[in-house]
Amino acid sequence: MAIRWSRWSPQIALAPAVIVTAVAFIGSIGWTIYISFTGSRRFPDYAIDPERWSRQYERLAKDRAWGISLDNLIVFGIGSLLAIVFGFILAAMIEREKRGEDVFRTIFLYPLAISLIVTGIVWRWMFNPSLGVENFLHQLGWESASFDWLSSAETAMYGIILASLWQSSGFFMALMLSGLKSINSEIWSAARLDGVGVFRLYIEIIIPMMKFTFLTCAILLSLGVVKAYDIIVAMTNGGPGQSTWMPALFTINAYSAKSNIAYASAAAVMMLVITLAIFLPLLLLFIWQQKRRKAAVA
Amino acid sequence: MSTMTDNFVPRRKKRITGRSIAILAFLAMCAAFFCIPLYVVIVTSFKTMDQIRLGEIFSLPVTWTLEPWREAWSEACSGIKCEGVSAGFFASLKILFPSLILSLSVSSVTGYALALWNVRWAGTFMFILFMCAFVPFQIIMIPMIILTGKIGVYGTIWGVAVVHAVLALPILTLIFRNFYKDIPGEIMQAAIMDSGSFWRIYREIILPMSANIFIVVLILQITSIWNDFLIGITFGGLNNKPMTVILANTVISATGESSYNVDMAAALLTAIPPLLIYFVLGKFFVQGITAGAIKG
Repeated sequence: MAIRWSRWSPQIALAPAVIVTAVAFIGSIGWTIYISFTGSRRFPDYAIDPERWSRQYERLAKDRAWGISLDNLIVFGIGSLLAIVFGFILAAMIEREKRGEDVFRTIFLYPLAISLIVTGIVWRWMFNPSLGVENFLHQLGWESASFDWLSSAETAMYGIILASLWQSSGFFMALMLSGLKSINSEIWSAARLDGVGVFRLYIEIIIPMMKFTFLTCAILLSLGVVKAYDIIVAMTNGGPGQSTWMPALFTINAYSAKSNIAYASAAAVMMLVITLAIFLPLLLLFIWQQKRRKAAVA
Repeated sequence: MSTMTDNFVPRRKKRITGRSIAILAFLAMCAAFFCIPLYVVIVTSFKTMDQIRLGEIFSLPVTWTLEPWREAWSEACSGIKCEGVSAGFFASLKILFPSLILSLSVSSVTGYALALWNVRWAGTFMFILFMCAFVPFQIIMIPMIILTGKIGVYGTIWGVAVVHAVLALPILTLIFRNFYKDIPGEIMQAAIMDSGSFWRIYREIILPMSANIFIVVLILQITSIWNDFLIGITFGGLNNKPMTVILANTVISATGESSYNVDMAAALLTAIPPLLIYFVLGKFFVQGITAGAIKG
């Protein structure tokens, strides 16, 4: 009896997770994809009109707000790449100097513990046109200083990028730091003996050795960029106008403000497609690199 | 974990060189960039509105006042309700506990079964979990709203808690599985020979070994649930809004002149619990956010 039970127990123990995955993830994704081909509005309507199955996607393609969302996704993605660069510079300096490592690490990483809503609210206050940092700069006598980024459609995205850099750079610093620490310390002395300059050492030896860490960072960054929502709600709520809309905000707005389930589903499917389009190539690159490294070791 | 051992390697005393000074100066400037927002929020929350209207965002309060904090906690208006962020604080706590119990129990047992027991389809299942960990929430949002509505938990504390547990399941399971797979096979062999059943081995051998990973996952979950906004606003309904949602309503949709000092006090009140965890248990926090990421 005991043996039989223990043979079945693992399967029974796995049942909740399997059911949740099947229903909440696979089933739900399938449902959303299906609904995106229908004409559902407030309530799901499962009939697909064979001639107009793609109408939600056609509507998306014509929707100016969706176009803005995609443009902003690219701007935000490129801007957020700075977090990786900044994180690497911070990590390299901390690693090199070693003095004060714990203090600096603690300071650079604390924004990550804070809710993005709080981060957004705090930065919104700093960007306040009449009472914020801009006013302070004016009082210092720098009359032409402009730090009122959120109230103009041209600069609002940069304000959001700055706040999100503040929030996430520490995370990439932490990943880079553990990557740097796994590098054999003999490289440093070898490089010194060979008279290789510090800058060349980083560009030609250290960074190529940290390919994995950079790939991991890129994957995590891209996922975060596609998901960006809270910080926009807290800082601009999409405004001024629709200038800071992003796909996540668009999708939720299509559901909650427009009450259009099919349209929101189509936008959500596009988000999934974008995620996969960025994520899968990076993942394949990651696996390929891993295979190559394993082959090199063997 | 390698970082922990590295810290204890004794290093030679270095002379302060010009390069060291340049690096330290740069790092200090960056540290200032990271600290300025926190400084600004703290001083603003202790100022009177009269002083704030002068527009000196970096100056210290002339008269320190706790009034904004009191108002933020118990009076500030969020929508039509004026009960401060305290309501959100207690709602967040109520969401936290069931959600933690659900997600930790299911994902640790699942991770244990996948790592140490012979399940033929474990590889396939782990790959599916891995993919699920990365899908954007929006793709499952609407069906989850309908599903939670059908089982009658939509708009309740349980609805928010269950959705948190569901969303965390893939990544937490993988973290647990990665931890348990390093348990030596001999221990498992001996335990099975000793007529240990699945659950007995879990209770008597695995759980006592898992204190470290449980703390890491616990902290990861506490901070991410506490800081969540989207799930709370989508599934909490009108009466179970977590603290971040109340905060956002208070600050963003306020009409008339904003009381910036109250806003900042409310923001700080929301940020204090995770910040406390971070400053007290930082090592575990860092392990948590990197564990799911790197090992994947």
